[in-house]
Amino acid sequence: MQDHPEDNPPKEGVSRRSFLQGAGVAAAAAGISRLPAEALAEERAAADLKELGPGAGKITLNVNGGSKSASAPPSTTLLDFLRNDLGVTGPKRVCDRGSCGACTVLLDGQVVDSCSMLAVDAVGKEITTVEGIGTPDNLSHLQKAFIEKDALQCGFCTPGMVVTCTAMLKENPNPTRDEIRQGLSGNLCRCGTYQNIIEAVEHASRTGGK
Amino acid sequence: MKPFKLIQPTHENEALQARSSDGSEYMAAGTDLLNRIKEHVASPETVVDLKKISGLDQIESDDRGIWLGAMVRMSEVSGHPEIQRRFPAVATTVGHAATPQIRNMATVAGNICQKPRCWYLRHEGYPCIKNGGTGCWAKDGENEFHAIFDNQICSATQPSNLAPVLVAHDAIIEVQGQDGVKEITAGDFFTGPSENPLMEVKLSAGEFVRRILLPAETETSLWAYEEAREKQSFDWAQASVTILLDRGGRKGDHRVILGAVSPAPLRREDMEKKLNGSDDEATQAALIAGEGATPLSQNGYKVPMLQGLIRRAVRVVRSREEG
Repeated sequence: MQDHPEDNPPKEGVSRRSFLQGAGVAAAAAGISRLPAEALAEERAAADLKELGPGAGKITLNVNGGSKSASAPPSTTLLDFLRNDLGVTGPKRVCDRGSCGACTVLLDGQVVDSCSMLAVDAVGKEITTVEGIGTPDNLSHLQKAFIEKDALQCGFCTPGMVVTCTAMLKENPNPTRDEIRQGLSGNLCRCGTYQNIIEAVEHASRTGGK
Repeated sequence: MKPFKLIQPTHENEALQARSSDGSEYMAAGTDLLNRIKEHVASPETVVDLKKISGLDQIESDDRGIWLGAMVRMSEVSGHPEIQRRFPAVATTVGHAATPQIRNMATVAGNICQKPRCWYLRHEGYPCIKNGGTGCWAKDGENEFHAIFDNQICSATQPSNLAPVLVAHDAIIEVQGQDGVKEITAGDFFTGPSENPLMEVKLSAGEFVRRILLPAETETSLWAYEEAREKQSFDWAQASVTILLDRGGRKGDHRVILGAVSPAPLRREDMEKKLNGSDDEATQAALIAGEGATPLSQNGYKVPMLQGLIRRAVRVVRSREEG
């Protein structure tokens, strides 16, 4: 992955905070009389009111245990930020509408569609993608079960499936078939490998991580 | 996606102020708004994010009932033990909406304020009465999933899974606006196109939902929610029936609310009166389901579908009484 060239871009425009802080100084310098309490209240409100964009600004996220930064507009989805700006390409862009689950990542341990939220809304949260679950040299127990049970064909839905099933087993180590189906209900597989995925989850559950 | 400025207020008055600029929209999780921006049917210059406002993400109870903060996630509601115990119909319907991923993201306020899922409304090539054009393309077009009641101005249905059960419970929607906080009962909050074709809920410009009250006085363990849809996940109901019996322990205080068949959840007092405990009450209620319906070219099936759902729901709710 290449570092983004504009890691610390000058923020476009003037934020309300910096404007008001500046204006406060200017007002004081000009000797304009204002009630101190009023000025204070305004500054406090301004300090709280965060404005981003529409241009790019630095976004820092905690991805798979490490801190990663890049510059992107606030309108960037978490999925596009991970893939295009951070080079984390495990989450896949398929429907881009929250219907298929190929972009599934964990946000503080919970499954979410990374295409349907903003990257800035993931700031301060722990993001886990399929890259954080296992590597080719060190596959997770569930990933081995996917191979064992032939739970993939074209493989495009697999990263989302693995993330979803990992979260499912963590929450419920011994799911029934119905619970597995419900847990998988936000992930689509156009090759139709559902049955084998269910068997992989059952296998991983039965063998309990050994 | 068209770029926008994002404002993240932490106080409610800041949100009102930020939203007062032209071309601004409120956003909760964004699961609906971001899709509409991607489809070019919404193009806000400024998005005012409500998630950072303190205090709007809590579930609290007091003597009036259980308050759901606007920014509470759907999965928090379906998994909340007190809601499961006191308002099982609410917990269950929320738990059936969308997908596990969406339920972990989407908020209760966003759910009840989402725009209808009409494919014309969500297509930039079809300027309909809801997005600045005139008339309803679905009325003489592809209307398989559209309304069979009150469908002459606009035939899009209310898509929220939560809406019918909120109406059944007389939930209170607490709304924040320039004039302060006000309370609207769910039955008045969800509106049809004759009131204002641009809106599906009673929110004026700049207003946002603060909290939702599930009133203690409408608690009941006698409930049923039956719905039909084409897929078991990530789909919207083609028709649904919510029944509450003896709300708050008051004999005969029933509610029958039909969902996904009209622009707003449809209360059917005529059916409520049929639920008198007689042997053929389910049949009697089902018989009148289609009264007042004006099906379009492709959605006449919703009348018999409703009849089946009503029979099923009555059976379920009476079995809870015995159990």
